[in-house]
Amino acid sequence: MSVPNDEPRWRRYLRFWRSDPAADVDDELRFHLESRVAENLAAGMSADEARRAAAERFGDVHAVERSLASLTRERETVERRLAWGQVIGQDLRYAVRQLARNPAFTAVAVLTLALGIGANTAIFSAVYSVLLRPLPYAHAGRLVELREGAQGGGSMNVTAGNYEVWRQRAPRFVALGAYWYGAYTLTGIGAPQRLFGLEASADYWRALYIPPALGRYFGPAADQPGAPHVVVLSHALWTTTFASDPHIVGRTITLNGDPYTVVGVAPAAYALSTTAPEIWVPLALTPAQRDEHADHELTVVGLVRDGVPVSDAVRDLTAVQHELAHEYPRGGIDGSIVATPLRDSVVGAVRPLMLVLFGAVGLVLLIACGNVMNLLLARAAVRRKEVAIRSALGAARRRLMMQLLTESVLLAGLGGVVGIAVAALGLHALLRASPQGIPRLFEATLNAPVLVFAALVALLCGIVFGVWPALRATRLDLQQALREGSRDSTSAVRGSMRTVLVIAEVALSLVLLVGAGLLVRSAFALQHVAPGFDPRGLLTAQVALPAARYPTDSSTMEAFERIREAVQAIPGASSVALVSRIPIAGLGMDCPVWREGSNTNIESGVDANGRSATGNYFSTMRTPLLRGRTFDASDLAGSAPVVVINETLAHWLYGSADPVGRRLAHCSGGNPKWREIVGVVADMRASGLAEAPPNEVYYPTSQMRLSAMSLVIRAAVPPASLAPAVRSAVAGVDPELAVSGVSTMEEIIARSMATSRFTTMLLGLLGLTGLVLAAVGIYGVIAYFVSQRAHEIGVRMALGATRRGVSLMVLRQGVALAAAGVAIGLVASVAATHALAGMIYGVSTHDPATFLGVAAVLLLVAALASLVPAHRATRLDPLDALRGG
Amino acid sequence: MAAASVALLQGTLDVIVLKTLSWGPMHGFGIARWIQQTTDDALRVEEGSLYPALYRMENRGWVRSQWRITDNKRRAKYYSLTPAGRRQLEAQRSSWSAFSAAMGRIMDATSQPA
Repeated sequence: MSVPNDEPRWRRYLRFWRSDPAADVDDELRFHLESRVAENLAAGMSADEARRAAAERFGDVHAVERSLASLTRERETVERRLAWGQVIGQDLRYAVRQLARNPAFTAVAVLTLALGIGANTAIFSAVYSVLLRPLPYAHAGRLVELREGAQGGGSMNVTAGNYEVWRQRAPRFVALGAYWYGAYTLTGIGAPQRLFGLEASADYWRALYIPPALGRYFGPAADQPGAPHVVVLSHALWTTTFASDPHIVGRTITLNGDPYTVVGVAPAAYALSTTAPEIWVPLALTPAQRDEHADHELTVVGLVRDGVPVSDAVRDLTAVQHELAHEYPRGGIDGSIVATPLRDSVVGAVRPLMLVLFGAVGLVLLIACGNVMNLLLARAAVRRKEVAIRSALGAARRRLMMQLLTESVLLAGLGGVVGIAVAALGLHALLRASPQGIPRLFEATLNAPVLVFAALVALLCGIVFGVWPALRATRLDLQQALREGSRDSTSAVRGSMRTVLVIAEVALSLVLLVGAGLLVRSAFALQHVAPGFDPRGLLTAQVALPAARYPTDSSTMEAFERIREAVQAIPGASSVALVSRIPIAGLGMDCPVWREGSNTNIESGVDANGRSATGNYFSTMRTPLLRGRTFDASDLAGSAPVVVINETLAHWLYGSADPVGRRLAHCSGGNPKWREIVGVVADMRASGLAEAPPNEVYYPTSQMRLSAMSLVIRAAVPPASLAPAVRSAVAGVDPELAVSGVSTMEEIIARSMATSRFTTMLLGLLGLTGLVLAAVGIYGVIAYFVSQRAHEIGVRMALGATRRGVSLMVLRQGVALAAAGVAIGLVASVAATHALAGMIYGVSTHDPATFLGVAAVLLLVAALASLVPAHRATRLDPLDALRGG
Repeated sequence: MAAASVALLQGTLDVIVLKTLSWGPMHGFGIARWIQQTTDDALRVEEGSLYPALYRMENRGWVRSQWRITDNKRRAKYYSLTPAGRRQLEAQRSSWSAFSAAMGRIMDATSQPA
């Protein structure tokens, strides 16, 4: 083959390796021009003429070159893509064959990953639903909850008067919606029903807008005192109580004895949690309410005008608030505004919980990845020869790595697919076990963002746990590997990576278990909290008397007394009392209290919670009366005002002195009304078991009359069995009365702990998963250790080592690994358990018993996981081991 | 030699090249020369414009190229038709026949519009 005279020789070699498009274009055009010149010369032109004519005939050479270059690039791009597709297709087919050839390995790896990815996906779907998903409102991003900064620090709901001023002077808000809660009794449709309602301003619907499911929402005309009553139904109430009546709009229903016209049905999206409003009625502030600047009752949500930064709108409102603070110095406000993005105020409280779960499940995934990586490393050792041969046959290292990575990504992909099935099961279980209080959790599904998350996690896993083994497997001395066959000559180095992995796994699972352990300890501590009453054998129920039917104080008092007597008459009810609000379920009216003789300024007062109760309330609850007396028939509406206080308040106000006979003022603002303390009772836990008892002031029902009371029934029989009798007893007094919240006191306590029980259960489950995975990891590494040391063990045994000695040597390896992991894990736990600070009760985040107990469990499990390989080591036949080595 | 030269319609160059290659593999210069000879130089193609046309058709898969040694021992890039190119040529041939027949009828028409 001859070489063209004018082509540099090196270029030919260059072309041997890869095509050189620019040179090719150059060659082709030069050939053309030279041929034309030659022809022109042959036709008799002079050299100059010939060249000029050729060039003229050809046209603009540079333009042609440019266009050819771009056409070439276009072609190369297409070709490269095709080639890539082919390579990946090849790798995938090869990977599938490899995985199919080792079904046991594949199954273990895929299941491990499926567990990790599935658990993560399930928890992520919850996190997405609760924390990440935008709120369902039309302008969700521009909604802020607005609260008034309080003089003593913190923030308060908004007074109706201040809200009215805000509405007039805050142009940067499109709408300021306000509401407070209201309870309504629905009658005329089946049994009377107690409904959880919102009394909302017309702007509520403008701020928190979602198109209605039926009809319309109410506007400013309906939101006036004296306007005809209208109501918006929740989707849930409409579908259940009203059987999805399509002609509901315009129908009149009876609420608290008054007729209300249904104007619309709100869509289901308004239900952010399982305790969502069932009806909305207009707030319709009265002129007196609009002048109220001290009673902080309204929740206000502002919709910031489009294009206005939230901070600007809040700054404007703060200026208004500043004026209000001057105008109404007794209103308790400090002139500041506390603005929270609505999403934060909806889910803020559960964010730490969700993040802790998400973090914990992430640790489980890391442990799972560690295990799979260990499996891959073990396999990389086995496949050294294969890799060496392929490499000797000319496969580039990059190509080999791609191949191995394809395998690990395929593995992770399979893990992801199975993991989604695991996630579906996990999410189902999660939702069934989930407590009521977590907003928006009930809507969690495996939707597109969640599936994308699962795919990303799988891909990331595939790459993360694949890269190191692939690097390891392809970095080797070819000759040595081929010469030695499958013997692993660099096991020391590779062994160290596997060791590191197992230590990390142990450390991670220790963190998980310490977290779970702390929660379990906290749950035990809670179980042993004395609630201050005897919850066994107690049934409670609420009854509300609609003002329309019971307009006067004496009529409500008489009705409640008749109800109490009717329930008392039920066989099996040994004692029945009334209280405005049962303990555990929260506070009722929290406001300042002063002892007589002290300064009555708000700042110097201390807050106490007020409850109205019958005289037998304490004996029914079996709460001891510590001093003085409880209420009796002599405490009438018109007689001297009396109260009973709890131990905590007595101690706060009077120290160790006897408070009986002294006087205090409670919730009476600047003009104190003094009440005589006639008794002191033991503390009861007011808001769940975890919170310390608050200061409490009990009023006799005769002197503080409320339209809704709770019945507390001490039963001589299983309390739940009395529920139907209680309902019919109340109906016997007045069939229009709704009985709600019928449950045993033990159920109420259990419900108050539902979230913490849920967290404990989940974290415990994750901790156990981590423990099992880590145990499998330890087992794998120790088994590998035994197989690698078979030769050495054979020699030892041939030299007279006992089985016990060999077994101990192997065990020691396993425990040493675990000990290293435990040490690291303990240090990590000290930092990690801070995240649990708000979630545990009665135990420190650095509880030594938990830390040491978990460490001991892990060491024990490590020893157990090493037992099987240790036993196998003692069964080695020294002769075989020596020969086989 | 014909004095008139015909301005080349866009896209016709492709057809001409495909037709040229239907005789067998040819390098770019060969194609230019064949067009020149066949049309008695009536089609004044700027020879440079042949190459983008060839490259484009190669990208479309109508022709393929290969470096070979010419009779006088020089390296040259030879183009040949692919099956897709052959199909393209057939498709173009029938539409060209229809077009030229229609043009012919118009140019030779003897009756004026009604």
